[in-house]
Amino acid sequence: MTIYIDVLFWMRQKRWFLFAIAYGLVMHFVVTPPTDLNPAAFDALIIISMALILIVTEPLPLPAIAMFMLFMQVVLGIDTANNVASSFMNDAVFFIMGSLMLAVAIVSQGLDKRLALGIITLTGHKTWRIIAGFTTISAILASFIGEHTVAAMMMPVGLTLVRYAHKDPKKVAGLTAALLFSIAYGATIGSIGTPSGGGRNVIMMNYWAEFGDGSVTYLEWIKYVYPMVLIQIPFTVLILLWTFKPEHSNLDSAVRKLVIDVAHAGKIKGREWLAIFLFVLVFLGWVFLSEDFGLGIIALLGVFLYLAFGLVEWQELNRKTNWGVILLFGAAISIGIQMNETGAAQWIAQVIITNLGRVIDSPAVLQGSVSVLLTGIMSNILSSSATVAVVGPIVLDLGGDKILIGYATAIASAFGYFTAVAAPACTIIYSSGLVKSKDFLRAGWKMGVLSLVSLLGLSLIWWPLL
Amino acid sequence: MTKKKPLFDPKSLKFLTAVSSVEYSKPTLKMGALIASVFDASHGVVYVGERASEFHGSSVNLTRTNLDNWNIIHPGLEVLEWALQELKKLSPENNELAKIQFNPDHVYEEDGRVRVMLPEEKGCRIELVLREGELVDQLRKEIQLENYDLAIIGGSQNKRHLAHSLIQYLPSSIFILQKFNPRKKYKLLLLVDDSIATNKSVEWGALIAEKLGWPVRTLTVSKTKRFGAGYQGAADKAKAYFDSRGIEVEQFFLTGDPVRTFVDFAGDNHFVIMGASTLNPVKQLLFGSKPIKTLEQSDVPILIVR
Amino acid sequence: MHISADMLFWVQQKRWLLVALVVGAILYFFVPHPQSLGPDGYHILIIILMTLILILKEPIPLPAIALQLIFWQVMIGGSTANEVGGYFMNDAVFFIMGSLMLAVAIVSQGLDKRLALGIIHLTGNKSWRIVAGFTAISAILSSFVGPHMVTAMMLPVALTLIRYTSDKGRSNTGLIAALLFSIAYGATIGSIGTPSGGGRNVIMMNYWAEFGSGSLSYIEWMKMVYPMVLIEIPITTFIILKTFPPEWQNLDTAVRRLSVEVAHAGKMSAKEIFSLFLFAGVLYGWIVLSEDYGLGSIALIGIFLFMAFGLVSWKDLSRGVNWGVILLFGATISIGVQMKNTGGAAWLAEGSVNLLQNLIPNIDALRAVVSVALSGVLSNLLSSSATVAVVGPVVLNLGGDPILLGLASVISSAFGYFTAVAAPACTIIYSSGLVKAPDFLRAGWKMAIMSVISLALVALVWWPLLR
Repeated sequence: MTIYIDVLFWMRQKRWFLFAIAYGLVMHFVVTPPTDLNPAAFDALIIISMALILIVTEPLPLPAIAMFMLFMQVVLGIDTANNVASSFMNDAVFFIMGSLMLAVAIVSQGLDKRLALGIITLTGHKTWRIIAGFTTISAILASFIGEHTVAAMMMPVGLTLVRYAHKDPKKVAGLTAALLFSIAYGATIGSIGTPSGGGRNVIMMNYWAEFGDGSVTYLEWIKYVYPMVLIQIPFTVLILLWTFKPEHSNLDSAVRKLVIDVAHAGKIKGREWLAIFLFVLVFLGWVFLSEDFGLGIIALLGVFLYLAFGLVEWQELNRKTNWGVILLFGAAISIGIQMNETGAAQWIAQVIITNLGRVIDSPAVLQGSVSVLLTGIMSNILSSSATVAVVGPIVLDLGGDKILIGYATAIASAFGYFTAVAAPACTIIYSSGLVKSKDFLRAGWKMGVLSLVSLLGLSLIWWPLL
Repeated sequence: MTKKKPLFDPKSLKFLTAVSSVEYSKPTLKMGALIASVFDASHGVVYVGERASEFHGSSVNLTRTNLDNWNIIHPGLEVLEWALQELKKLSPENNELAKIQFNPDHVYEEDGRVRVMLPEEKGCRIELVLREGELVDQLRKEIQLENYDLAIIGGSQNKRHLAHSLIQYLPSSIFILQKFNPRKKYKLLLLVDDSIATNKSVEWGALIAEKLGWPVRTLTVSKTKRFGAGYQGAADKAKAYFDSRGIEVEQFFLTGDPVRTFVDFAGDNHFVIMGASTLNPVKQLLFGSKPIKTLEQSDVPILIVR
Repeated sequence: MHISADMLFWVQQKRWLLVALVVGAILYFFVPHPQSLGPDGYHILIIILMTLILILKEPIPLPAIALQLIFWQVMIGGSTANEVGGYFMNDAVFFIMGSLMLAVAIVSQGLDKRLALGIIHLTGNKSWRIVAGFTAISAILSSFVGPHMVTAMMLPVALTLIRYTSDKGRSNTGLIAALLFSIAYGATIGSIGTPSGGGRNVIMMNYWAEFGSGSLSYIEWMKMVYPMVLIEIPITTFIILKTFPPEWQNLDTAVRRLSVEVAHAGKMSAKEIFSLFLFAGVLYGWIVLSEDYGLGSIALIGIFLFMAFGLVSWKDLSRGVNWGVILLFGATISIGVQMKNTGGAAWLAEGSVNLLQNLIPNIDALRAVVSVALSGVLSNLLSSSATVAVVGPVVLNLGGDPILLGLASVISSAFGYFTAVAAPACTIIYSSGLVKAPDFLRAGWKMAIMSVISLALVALVWWPLLR
């Protein structure tokens, strides 16, 4: 008897999992793929849509979904086991892994507290000012050094504040979410600001050069795009405050505890100086050497140095790093690569273009909306650099002012607000385990609308002036 | 410079005894308990076991977890359980201690350090800790983590090399119990010179002598025939301190190579207390220091005060 | 003063790291690469040399060694981060990850109590029969599911038996050693039996596929190697009983008390049956489907099902897995592939063949001796899986039949009987604190001789019949 109850209960708990499986079976066996899409690409699309259902409803732990994405590629015969595995690991995954470990190392040295205190001295104790401060600092830093770096650096700081606000972060879920999202979204909106804000900007510049559409200097890019960053910052703060409604209007007691703790730790000691020095090294490496070696390799080098100098114990890294998130990120990248290789990504692009072409007559508007919509949607599925790499050539081929279209595409590729794996910044805050994947949707759609509107405003008002 | 206040507040001292096995660690543990009660210090007992190769770390962890399910506890925890029983036997009058039960399930584990949770009632300030890894490294970490003032360590077979590293690198005072026999009558031998560490070692010596009733000797060694004002003054100050606490002292002044003279004088029936070396650590590593050389050449328990 | 003491301590603790770096720097900057080897291949060999020093002396934790392997490959090895990432992850690494997780999932179900009961039923209560039973069961189980899971499940059984036989005033070191070594050596000799018996087997299969030197299916592997497992089981039992004679002829009381304790567990619950069923499914998948899907993917499917059915939580899995080891295997495999790609492996293989040609004129015998000796010796120092990851590319470049040489190398990498680091089973029993390092030597040399002879027997008599 009890077995039936167990089974029924299990089915109730996992109904979304069952739904996803049923959906997948129907799609694979019943629905015939469109004629212009090869079966492997169709299967890749099935896997990704199943994974999206699972990620958003979360009937299973995320690492299980990661494994699901990996082995389904093999089971459906999209690629061999070894190829799937090797598409799983690349510099981006090394980077996520390395920066999550670096964050653990920094926390274990107590540097996050000092940094948090520094930021608070700038912003004051009011919650809204702190959130605004986090968003602004993340955005401005990210626009120059890339969102990945900033999210990795700021996450421990945000977590520290949360811990001080309440012993159990779940009790102040609103505050927690607002703080962490201010980091992730701040870094994301900032990343469009300059060419060095993200790898995808550089990819776009390469395309311009390759397609012979003229070139853009660093300063010109800033002139065109930076106003958008500045407009978005205050709105993002408003959206976060509105969506997550922090429980406390000021953080006096948390700040007091933080001040006491920092004072208690005393002056910065030898080990901490060493930790700071190493982090600065890693940071400089990210800024100057990542072209040659890749962000991930430098992050791993940093972790190695922390371990070699005995500033952090491996057991601590092993225990506190969120390995499940790394698996998930790797799996998402791997399926993204398959999307690209099987031609599924190109197919989506074509479908959107043809369908929009029926609705919209004006070629200029068509171009703009295609590039933005296409990029915006795809960047939530693929990584943003991959999106630009795939969509870029298609969009630039449509005709019109290629520089402006290029800007629009690069900007829209930063609209990865909707899922935990859409952008590395989102993955990093998700790894804290304190925000739910539904939160990404809740705040994400508003951010999406905001970004669309401000991109529209920018392109209609600002760019014509220039 | 005369200080009114003692250099330390005995109530707040923390001592750490390193145990290795049930067979060999009994005298060490006994002395540790004794000296901790003399100073009224809180007493930590640490067992440093070997760490399994990291290659198979997962498998070893898995096995350990499964052994827990079968109620078979870690060998190190068995030693700690024994240590707790011994401590109870050593101070039967301590009722609070007698009430404490050892519960192998009740441990706090973090990053290779396992702490046995004991109820923290007054009168019982005991910590039981299990660590795995290289001995010097682990002792150093434990001392740094908990700010121990004194580490009590048994003399071991390959003592020369080990003792050298211990004295060189442990950041606390160190008590090495080589050839220690709890039944033997020891005399306290204080090495007095003009270094700063001497003040503290005199205070420690006085406390030990007071509580244990051991006779006290001070020894000052000069390389030349003349004893400078520094040495003489230090010896006088030490004597004055003992006098003020009503402890009788025999003073000795000898000439010769310091280490050789210490070792010869100490023989095997003294219990040596000396200040830590103030030499630059690099020089200590290359040329050794008085405490290191004394320890290497002699066969008596040595307390090095830092 | 304090800081300089800290620094000094650091230097003393990490001196081998410094040695490795200095050696690497000298070779990199001052010693020109050999004529017959390109600069990239030379740099890869430098990285491997540094890594060997680091693994042997372990001045830094193993995961840190893995990290340096990764970034050196990019910084001086001349490959890009994405290339290294691509070689880093492959089916073998997924298999190692998956099988560690499967072990956690299975062991946490408490099936070992039933296993214990089953063994006792089979063997009765004579000491020698118990030792034989432990050896045989460990060997057969570990040939399918890997030694780590078997040891984790068997060790409590052995220790419980020992606890119930302990008798004040009478030493039982012989019995302890006999029981523990029967598990460890049993699991080790078994682990060669099938591809899923150990990570190193999958690594070798992976190299075969990567280097395009043919492949073996699960069943073919078993056909070639399993006879050797069956030969070794009785001899191992004999060696253990001779080396560590148990003090008791039979273990009546202990066995009785063990079965009483185990009987508490009651009837098998639905959950236990279901997890057994899932596990059997994974085994079936390995045996039948592994050619299409790869062993690693199937292990991942198994883990996924365990999680989907709520039989184990991600938290337990994540905590039970030492991710550093996975990093290390990924990193060593990637350097292994790079060694092959840059020609470093071929250069080493040629060098060792030329060097030894005078000693052993027969080229086939020479190749066999090189692969067996290299793997056998290194596995005692580096652990068997890491050995295969590093030695594999060299062995496959020796010329001759890559399948046979690879098999010989994998089999001999299981000859890690002398030290506690070689095989997971040995590390586990060592970590129980009940056996000492010299014990491994006492029994190890007999085991090594026995294994070499049976390998020669299988290779000379059995393999020619099959191919």
